[in-house]
Amino acid sequence: MRKYLGNKTAIAIFTLPALLLYTIMVFYPIMQTFFRSMFEWDGLSAGTFIWFDNYKELLNDSVFHTAIYNGLIFAAIITVTQIGIGSILAFAVSDVSFKGRKILRISFFIPVVLSITVVCQLWLSIYNSEYGLMNKLFDMLGIQYHQDWLSSGKSAIVAIAFVNAWQYMGYHFALLLAGAKSVPEQYMEAARIDGATKLQAIVKITIPMMAETYKFCMVFAVTGGLNAFANMYIMTSGGPGTSTYTLTYLMYRSAFRVGEFGYGSAAAAVLVIECLLATLIINRLVARERISY
Amino acid sequence: MRKIKKAAAALASLSLIVVSACGSNNNTVNETSNTTAATNAVVKEEATAAPQENVKLRIYAQYSDDDTKLPYDYAVAELKKEMPNVELELEVQAQDDGQKLKTYAATGNLPDIYQAGVDIINTFKKSGNILELDKYTDLYGFKDKMFSSTMNTLTSDDGHVYAFPYAGNEFMLLYYNKELFEKNNIKVPTTYDELMIAVKGFNAAGVTPLALFAKEKWPTVALYDMFVTRQEPAGIVKLDKGQVSPSDPAYKQAAEKIVELVKAGLLPKGATNLNYDQAASLFYEGKAAMFLNGQWEIATSTEKLGDKAGWMYFPGVDAASYETSKYSFIGGGGPGGYAVNPNTKDPELTAKVAAFLSLKYAEYKYTQRGNPIVATKVEIPVVTEYPAMMKQLSDDIEKITSTTAFAWGLSDAKFKAAIEDATQSLMTGGYSVEQFIKDVTKAVPQAK
Repeated sequence: MRKYLGNKTAIAIFTLPALLLYTIMVFYPIMQTFFRSMFEWDGLSAGTFIWFDNYKELLNDSVFHTAIYNGLIFAAIITVTQIGIGSILAFAVSDVSFKGRKILRISFFIPVVLSITVVCQLWLSIYNSEYGLMNKLFDMLGIQYHQDWLSSGKSAIVAIAFVNAWQYMGYHFALLLAGAKSVPEQYMEAARIDGATKLQAIVKITIPMMAETYKFCMVFAVTGGLNAFANMYIMTSGGPGTSTYTLTYLMYRSAFRVGEFGYGSAAAAVLVIECLLATLIINRLVARERISY
Repeated sequence: MRKIKKAAAALASLSLIVVSACGSNNNTVNETSNTTAATNAVVKEEATAAPQENVKLRIYAQYSDDDTKLPYDYAVAELKKEMPNVELELEVQAQDDGQKLKTYAATGNLPDIYQAGVDIINTFKKSGNILELDKYTDLYGFKDKMFSSTMNTLTSDDGHVYAFPYAGNEFMLLYYNKELFEKNNIKVPTTYDELMIAVKGFNAAGVTPLALFAKEKWPTVALYDMFVTRQEPAGIVKLDKGQVSPSDPAYKQAAEKIVELVKAGLLPKGATNLNYDQAASLFYEGKAAMFLNGQWEIATSTEKLGDKAGWMYFPGVDAASYETSKYSFIGGGGPGGYAVNPNTKDPELTAKVAAFLSLKYAEYKYTQRGNPIVATKVEIPVVTEYPAMMKQLSDDIEKITSTTAFAWGLSDAKFKAAIEDATQSLMTGGYSVEQFIKDVTKAVPQAK
């Protein structure tokens, strides 16, 4: 190994393809986005360099504020729901005494492999204010809580976030299940001998030992929430009005509906910074010390 | 001395050779250019005499339902008779706000002919992706065939022609189910007060007063425009041009009236999430009393409801306003139609094909789709009789005093997006008029 690490040519040869790909596919477009965000540009003609004017305009744009707020709400809901419920399901299914765990393991993952369009259409029916399942459910329970789930500016973003949370919960469930299974059995045995209950063992041993997995899940859920787009595009087209806009939707609207590619790039640049910040904070706060077992 | 003479003779001979060689070269050049000119002339003659060389043109056009498929197929069949050597390769236009077309333009992959509206024309003329067609407007007598009332669909704001139009100035109509009004003993509204009475009456009878597919944002702009035009005939066009403010009385009162009516139950629950199919079903099945859509809805509404369907003049602020604003229609047209890629191999031929297709497209709509709203005159007799609602509209066309624009015909893209978003929010009833004025004011362009 030491001999290999000393061979700089070999290191260069092996890392170069990945480095090249990363530069072309990721780094260059990101740099272009930042560069283009300083232009007044319609995407076709030569743009005009305007320094940070697009950013100044963004800060004064009420739609930008709505987009930031919605991104945070969306990220919070899907993080809590996907990781919270995903954990409960993962711990339940990882227990060998749990009946039907094989079928449940497959069932929980089915929504992940469904097309997002199919899932959104399904939930559009469920949320329908006239004949949707959601309102009927309240009727059946005798609760007078009829809602216009997707037509109310306040509830629409929450309703859409739950659709995403439902669909991708299975993905986090699979990651957490793998994490829970990789915790060595002897730790659990030791806990049982010491008289710990199942819940105590999970809280005190399994969860702390899965910190790395949780960190990974959180990065995925938070960044996925911040740059959400497809759900609102299909379910509400960003509406009513601009109430379900996220930064990605603002970027889409600016670039493709309004033809302001420079402004759209500025929104995209803010999104990149926001996601990087979120990732840095999660990395700083969660699983700071690597646990090896 | 003899040596000098020999050298001089040699030099002279060499000079002669060089001169003659040069002469011969010049001759060759002249001959070659003459030959080339001759060849070009022959090619041109051949091309004029027998333009039978097969030409394949890429076309990007609407082709999604009977209203777009049938006229297109007819136009293509007619083209085959007129120019048998021209083959069209169709790419169906995506409903994507022109994103695909703009991407084609950005990557230098623009089709030879494409359908363009105001937005595409304005964007593409700045970037040189659309051919100016001024010198081709005489092809097939296109300009002479235009109605004087539809010249706005041919000429852009800058006075140039960028597309051959086929559609005329289209209108938004307020359709209603006559039977539902009669059955519930509700008067067809002519004023805002009567409209409110109708809304309350239909709600009490369990009928949705107005079906609106507000998930698409343009119908919400049209509804707002309907109320504005009762007091300001130019409607949203004046806002688009920055000539008025959303806080001006006509514009503010229109927003207030919508909020009031929505709160009273004008629209079905979840209206902002209702697509065309859902809203239209409510109307066709007799679950909604009124339906707001363009005049292109006449054929389907007649088919689904027969004589029960009709369209009414928009209710006015009061009885007097109803009469004065009766013929202030909403909707209208703008420059658009089949446009040509400036980098097409043979611009004249492509322009010729585009002009021909537009004429034939309009011809089919006029003669066989029962639609007199076309841009160009049609000289062959009508095959399909107009439905009663179309006859009524056709009779009224001459009386129309003003038109406005559909959302897609607005010239300022930023204003268009803002008014679409703001009017859709109005449909929820939970969006204040003050907020509406604030949001729209920010997007209204400075006076042009």
